[in-house]
Amino acid sequence: MTSTMTRSIVLGDEKNRSARSRRASERSRQGGWGVLPTIVLIVGAIYCLIPVAWVFTAATKSRSELFTTFTFAPGSGLWENLVEVFTYEDGQYLLWCLNSLLYSGVASVLSVFVSAMAGFALAKYSFRGRNAIFFGFLVGILIPGIVLAVPQYLLMSTVGLTGTQWSVLLPSIVSPFGIYLCRVYAMSAVPQETLEAARIDGAGEWRIFRMIVLPLMVPGMVTVFLLHFIGTWNNFLLPYIMLSDQDLYPLTVGLFTLLSKGSGSPALYSVAITGAAISIIPLVALVLSLQRYWRLDLVSGGIKG
Amino acid sequence: MRTHRPLAAAVAGLAIIGVAGLAGCSGSDASSDGPVQLEYWAWASNSQDVVDQWNKENPDIQVKYTDAGGGTDSSAKLLTANRAGNAPDVALVEYTTLPAMIVADVPTDITEYVGDVEDAFTEGTWAQTTFGGVVYGIPQDVGPMANVYRADRFEELGVTPPTTWAEFRTAAEAVKAADPATVIAALPPAEFGFWAGVSTQAGGQWWSSEGDEWTVGIADEPSLEVADFFQALVEDGLVSTDPLLTPEYNAALNNGTMLSWPSAVWAPSVIENVAADTSGGWAMAPLPQWTEGDAAVPYQGGSALVVTTSSDHPEEAAKFAKWLNASEAGNELMINTQSLYPAAIVGQEMTERNDPPALMPQQTDFYAVAAEISADTIPVTWGPNVNLARTVFADELQKAIDNGTPWRDAFIATQKAVIDDMVKSGFTVTND
Amino acid sequence: MTTASPRRAAKPAASSKPRRAKSNRLAPYFFTTPAIVLYIVFTVIPVAYAIWLSLRAYRVTGGALGRKQDVFVWFENYLAVLQDETFLAGFGRLLIYGVIAIPLTLGLALLFALLLDAPAVRAKRFSRTAIFIPYAVPGVVAALLWGFMYLPSTSPFSYLTKAAGLGSIPFLEESGIFGSLANIAIWGGVGFNMIIIYTSLRGIPADIYESARLDGANELQIAWRIKIPLVAPALVLTGFFSLIGTIQLYSEPATLRPMTSTISAGWVPLMAIYRDAFGTDNLPQAAAASTLLAVGTVLVSALVLRLVNRRRNGMES
Repeated sequence: MTSTMTRSIVLGDEKNRSARSRRASERSRQGGWGVLPTIVLIVGAIYCLIPVAWVFTAATKSRSELFTTFTFAPGSGLWENLVEVFTYEDGQYLLWCLNSLLYSGVASVLSVFVSAMAGFALAKYSFRGRNAIFFGFLVGILIPGIVLAVPQYLLMSTVGLTGTQWSVLLPSIVSPFGIYLCRVYAMSAVPQETLEAARIDGAGEWRIFRMIVLPLMVPGMVTVFLLHFIGTWNNFLLPYIMLSDQDLYPLTVGLFTLLSKGSGSPALYSVAITGAAISIIPLVALVLSLQRYWRLDLVSGGIKG
Repeated sequence: MRTHRPLAAAVAGLAIIGVAGLAGCSGSDASSDGPVQLEYWAWASNSQDVVDQWNKENPDIQVKYTDAGGGTDSSAKLLTANRAGNAPDVALVEYTTLPAMIVADVPTDITEYVGDVEDAFTEGTWAQTTFGGVVYGIPQDVGPMANVYRADRFEELGVTPPTTWAEFRTAAEAVKAADPATVIAALPPAEFGFWAGVSTQAGGQWWSSEGDEWTVGIADEPSLEVADFFQALVEDGLVSTDPLLTPEYNAALNNGTMLSWPSAVWAPSVIENVAADTSGGWAMAPLPQWTEGDAAVPYQGGSALVVTTSSDHPEEAAKFAKWLNASEAGNELMINTQSLYPAAIVGQEMTERNDPPALMPQQTDFYAVAAEISADTIPVTWGPNVNLARTVFADELQKAIDNGTPWRDAFIATQKAVIDDMVKSGFTVTND
Repeated sequence: MTTASPRRAAKPAASSKPRRAKSNRLAPYFFTTPAIVLYIVFTVIPVAYAIWLSLRAYRVTGGALGRKQDVFVWFENYLAVLQDETFLAGFGRLLIYGVIAIPLTLGLALLFALLLDAPAVRAKRFSRTAIFIPYAVPGVVAALLWGFMYLPSTSPFSYLTKAAGLGSIPFLEESGIFGSLANIAIWGGVGFNMIIIYTSLRGIPADIYESARLDGANELQIAWRIKIPLVAPALVLTGFFSLIGTIQLYSEPATLRPMTSTISAGWVPLMAIYRDAFGTDNLPQAAAASTLLAVGTVLVSALVLRLVNRRRNGMES
């Protein structure tokens, strides 16, 4: 293994060369592809943004413009649409946003701690049943949500919790994938020596977890939080089955009901599209702001090692 | 270095609040004093306003309304909730799914509570919610079948609006000749209500029961003739079979290339919602008939209120349902705030005093025509597995359209699937 | 005693503790308890219940509209599912869909990740963010958006081809439906997979490239010979997720179904299951079909993982 000293010398050499000559040598190494790679990347980026651009444009169209004007021509109805969205059923849209935040936020925070504890234990302790437990969790990743939805509903109704926010929160906490990620991260981020040293000093296991392990696992936990947040935010089937009161719906279910009003009542396309446009914003903002923290390399770490 | 203590405390606090809240929120109406609390599931627009009116006038029976989603979604939820004992006290159920609900033990017998409103409905309408002498629901709204069409475009193209299906064919040909980009109507396989309706109109009986036995007639002679007729129309390119109310369809409505929607009297508000700029150009006429001079048509769509077996207060629930559907006040709200066509006679009479729908402000006799159509309806019996029939029929008919095979085969295949399913479920079917 | 994993460096003898406090032995059990309890309550028990339900059926007793009763029917539901042509046809469609979606998702994710890692490529930050954004759009919303993009009269793509005299693009017809559905999944999934591969690429020490560059290799050769083999684990993982996503395909065809006649009610297995559970009130049959689907998924996953491990072990030895 190259020593770090040698590596820095090599890289240091790189830094010593002038910026211009470095760039020139890089470009010549491209082999004459020129700006093609950049163009490919930008085309990909634009392609990914087209539908998003569409939904924001469509949100500006009034009801009569929606099906009559060219797709990307901006319309004149943005203000009306916004008003319609926020006054729909006396502000139900805002309730939906808050509900989504509640379900995703609380479930993800709790999930992160549950997963961190389990992942850490599976990574750093050897105990009987460890592999069986881990394998058991992995199987959970493979089960489609629909298999679980109705039985979970019936289960919740035996304790009388259906129709409440708990019926959506509680099943959303457990995350086999989160446990897997935390285990992988704990294996590489928490040095065994540090744990041993703390134990020699007489620290209890819970103290070790709180004061040493958790701080070390923060980047992994942020990743788990982000992925779980997005997953529960986008979850449709579970809240759809559990809830019957529209005031408790998250955004996904709320938007869906706007479009499926049955044959007699008209579908509220404009409201749904504007609502969808608004709903994309917080999630995108979250993703962008947490970009610096997440560590998605740990996702593949489990197989690599 | 981050401290996790505040965060851990917050999580712990949340958990404690949660558990406390859990202990607090048990069953709803545990107390015997105080107003009776009812839960009501429906989906028609502005139902909350209607409920608010009731709550104001009836402080001793308070109703909580929940929008349970469109017909098919709410029926699925209703079934699941009822199995768990959580169903609402009063729920809106489409006529087509009512038998399936009865078989799943969802609606309770309300014969003893509703004898006084039977006369508020025509015999045919009341028959939609009565089976074997037992009343399971109170009809709310009905959809008398009618033809909603672009009168202005017909005139522009020099085509006469049809009064029989044969004339419909002639009109379709004329439309195509005058403007190849325009089509007279879209009749997709997924519109089960339409196909059942026109087959019933022709004399078919898709389900009938006598005593304990059922007979399934989806492929009876009148229905097969209906199949042949419309197959010819589609194969000659005279009607489209694309789905309704897609962005595609809505665009066609807006630019005048979609000329009519043979359906029912609830169609205008649906069209107006997606093609408001075309208002003033539409008109409503009776549905084309198979035989000249006939007038009877069945309903397409419509629903009833049921009191569920989960309800602890069936009498109060029935009272609320009766007010909604059979009283003058309830009917007035139904017409003015919900744009529904009422099932009750008094409601239908009231509509005649109203302005026509926004889509056809120029047709001042709209509701008079609607009442006339409604006075002569063919009663329809729905079987216990309409949802299965609906999906099989749509798939089979779509296959026939795609492969160019006879539509008759699709009807026959649907009938077979429906019969097999009923037999498997334990029903006795005479034409097994 | 458990076997020490070969990964860990050998512990120096001095620090191994002969004496451990009792709490240490129970600690892992305490840590895993919340996860295990939640898992059992919300995953294991519902699965057990679904299996139990799949052995039962609703049968009607007496009268034209007699009530449904819950009876035990052993494996009748399983037989019915296995003999259901539409259900089996659904798997055939998944195969076609998967053949399009999986390689394209991985291929594009790999391509973009390599481009992000290559020197002298500009607009990296913008592209990386833009390509990731679709992941944040819920499936239902994404399908709705793409529905508008596909339908002939509202599609900007068809608008262009129509203006060029070529007619509208058959996105939602038989000929184009698989590609169109795959496109929605690719659009939504490339960003996430790209980031996984990209972070894996960033973990490769730069001096490995140095020696290759000194030997005169250009970027393309470096990518092909060095980078791709080194991110193979990440590729396997993303491929695995795409596979699971393919088997569990549901929300895209279900959301597009009202817009086109090409998609039937049970077009893919999960749609058929959903229809049984919520459309025709045949919950037991839906439970049987989902059990079969879940078992099939586990088998396929185990098979894929074993193949991959065997190949990797073969390569390493």
